[in-house]
Amino acid sequence: MQLVEREKLDKRIETLKQCYGNDRSALLPILQDLQAEYGLLTGLIMQETAHALGIHPVEVEGVATFYSFLRTDQKQGKYVIRLCRTISCDLAGKARVARQFENELGIRFGETTKDGLFTLEYTNCLGMCDQGPAVMINDRLFAKVTPQMVPQIIMDCRQDFLKTVFPEITPSDVQKEGPILKNALPFGEGLKKALTLSRSDVIATIREAGLKGRGGAGFPTATKWQLAGTAVSDTKYVVCNADEGEPGTFKDRYLLHAQTDLLLAGMTIAGYAIGAQKGYLYLRGEYLYLRKHLEKSIEKRRQSGLLGKDIQGKKGFSFDVELRLGAGAYICGEETALIESLEGQRGEPRNRPPFPVDTGFMGNPTIVNNVETFIDAAIICAKGPAWFAEYGTEKSKGTKLFSISGDCKKPGIYELPFGITVQELLEEVGGEDAKAVQIGGASGHCIPAPEFKRNIAFEDISSGGSIIVFGKNRDMLQVAKNFMEFFTEESCGQCTPCREGNIKILEGIELLEKGRCSTSYLNELIRLGETMQLASKCGLGQSSPNAFLSIVEHFKNEILGRVPEAV
Amino acid sequence: MANILIVDDDQDFVEAVKSVLVSGGHRVVAAYSRETGMDAVKKENPDLMILDVMMEQPDDGFAMAHDLRKAEFKKPILMLSSVGTISGMTFDKDSDMNPVDAFEEKPIKPERLLAKVKELLGA
Ligand SMILES: Cc1cc2nc3c(=O)[nH]c(=O)nc-3n(C[C@H](O)[C@H](O)[C@H](O)COP(=O)(O)O)c2cc1C
Ligand code: SF4
Repeated sequence: MQLVEREKLDKRIETLKQCYGNDRSALLPILQDLQAEYGLLTGLIMQETAHALGIHPVEVEGVATFYSFLRTDQKQGKYVIRLCRTISCDLAGKARVARQFENELGIRFGETTKDGLFTLEYTNCLGMCDQGPAVMINDRLFAKVTPQMVPQIIMDCRQDFLKTVFPEITPSDVQKEGPILKNALPFGEGLKKALTLSRSDVIATIREAGLKGRGGAGFPTATKWQLAGTAVSDTKYVVCNADEGEPGTFKDRYLLHAQTDLLLAGMTIAGYAIGAQKGYLYLRGEYLYLRKHLEKSIEKRRQSGLLGKDIQGKKGFSFDVELRLGAGAYICGEETALIESLEGQRGEPRNRPPFPVDTGFMGNPTIVNNVETFIDAAIICAKGPAWFAEYGTEKSKGTKLFSISGDCKKPGIYELPFGITVQELLEEVGGEDAKAVQIGGASGHCIPAPEFKRNIAFEDISSGGSIIVFGKNRDMLQVAKNFMEFFTEESCGQCTPCREGNIKILEGIELLEKGRCSTSYLNELIRLGETMQLASKCGLGQSSPNAFLSIVEHFKNEILGRVPEAV
Repeated sequence: MANILIVDDDQDFVEAVKSVLVSGGHRVVAAYSRETGMDAVKKENPDLMILDVMMEQPDDGFAMAHDLRKAEFKKPILMLSSVGTISGMTFDKDSDMNPVDAFEEKPIKPERLLAKVKELLGA
């Protein structure tokens, strides 16, 4: 019996290799498919996969245990219920929904029911921050879940979702469109225009537009493309960072669905400009439900001659896009960790330099850009750099998509010009009463009311688009706690300041909660946070103390000397 | 004798190159950024340019070479940069992406610099 099982498994792995490739970079997708089929990555599965790819089984186990969506211990249930525990869903009442799921199923989070039907888990941001609390069950999404809805949801699962009609994709709330979202470009237009230009003219166009990366760091896009494009190498890669894991961000989720063609056009234009033949779209595992739509869109472009060989009749220009899924690791949004993950490794950030433009995917020049950056680039090629540069500020040209959630009347997606003040933004979204706003997600900054005159732009408060509004009655210590729990969980653990520092700060917050933290210890924690900003290896540890530090700075009176409620 | 413009943000390096080229009988003018470099080209109308890559932006030299050729600047450009060592990538001249006449890695020996300049001016 064992032998038959093994043969069956080996055959299956061979089929998967034909689909994903023979080298190590095929490891993650192979494990993901095997997990979906077997419910668990057993020792035998890991061993056979290792043999098939010519690597040591320990390497496979190392990868399998890194990603939270892969399981090596307990078999997952037929239905994996993942409740978002990120700040926006927390503000929207996640705790009561969690409790009701536990009550209905008779298990705790992290457990599977005895009949093997249900596994209950927490997950980080599902990108539904404006419609929380959000729950994902296998590849289905449930928005605005209330405790009352929980028994019905479980009943639906028991009936294999047969009774429920689901939209293919839960629509996003777009509250304000600007020139980018209203682009009205016909199918294929962005790419057509770009291919009339020389490679260097494409890059000059992006440079003239002043486009800076929309993923948060704001690195000039043309510079990245120029360096990769000028480097002498036969093999280069374009990677789209669709790992959108920053708590409170959901604009890429929308763009991936609503502007798919422009995204793929932007990637193809980048491929042309830098001289790459292959692109990867790295989609976070939490957005599994977008997979079918994206694969369909890629296929449609192949059929229309917009992907593949000699694109649009341009001899010698070939480019194709492959979709790769993440597996529940926020750190894989960091570009070098993302590349490691694509290569079939644990998603641990690399030392920089060298930068990905140099030693990127498989050691080749690689550009990594955010979803929105590629879309902007495609529109810029079609409409010209001057059109784009009309919006925004001198140093932050264009408009930006913001994901707004938290305590405001009109949460959702907004396209607004760079340079807008926090106050203007709050008026736009109906959040004038806010006492603070978190800009740039958990790793961003907490801006208190006296600073609402500041501008959202790379030269002042930069942001990848996540804006979380905190109303008058929000407990800022709980906000800091939620963020630090997130970072403690998501730190890859490679370097000490981040691995240990996040835990220490979280413990400090728990002391503050109990009203048992002296100011001298708080000052120690502040120094620890500052050390982490300087000494951590990657952006996660360098920015994880930001929110805590700003909350301590601006809300000291609120967090010191607490008297816990008697239980 | 040739009129040479060097555009490089490293003042010490500019001084060193200047003294080598002056000893070779050339007249040398320097600019320290892409922007001032473009102005200097118009003013000086140099016979040859020596261009760094990583200045304010890490790709300024590549961008400037592109802009110069767009502006019909036809004289030889010698790109002299450590961008390859710093970035770990290999760079060379390229008719579209890097329209210069020669690409040399920093540091460069004085004899090699003078020989390259002579070769480019002769071309
Ligand atoms: C911990 C961490 C998470 C990140 N997550 C994302 C992400 O989800 N999406 C993204 O585009 N960039 C993310 N980034 C930034 C990327 O490293 C990179 O700068 C970006 O993809 C570059 O694209 P851009 O220049 O178009 O912004 C993250 C960075 C860090 C340090
Ligand atoms: S800073 Fe944190 S996430 Fe980044 S490498 Fe170090 S431990 Fe890993």
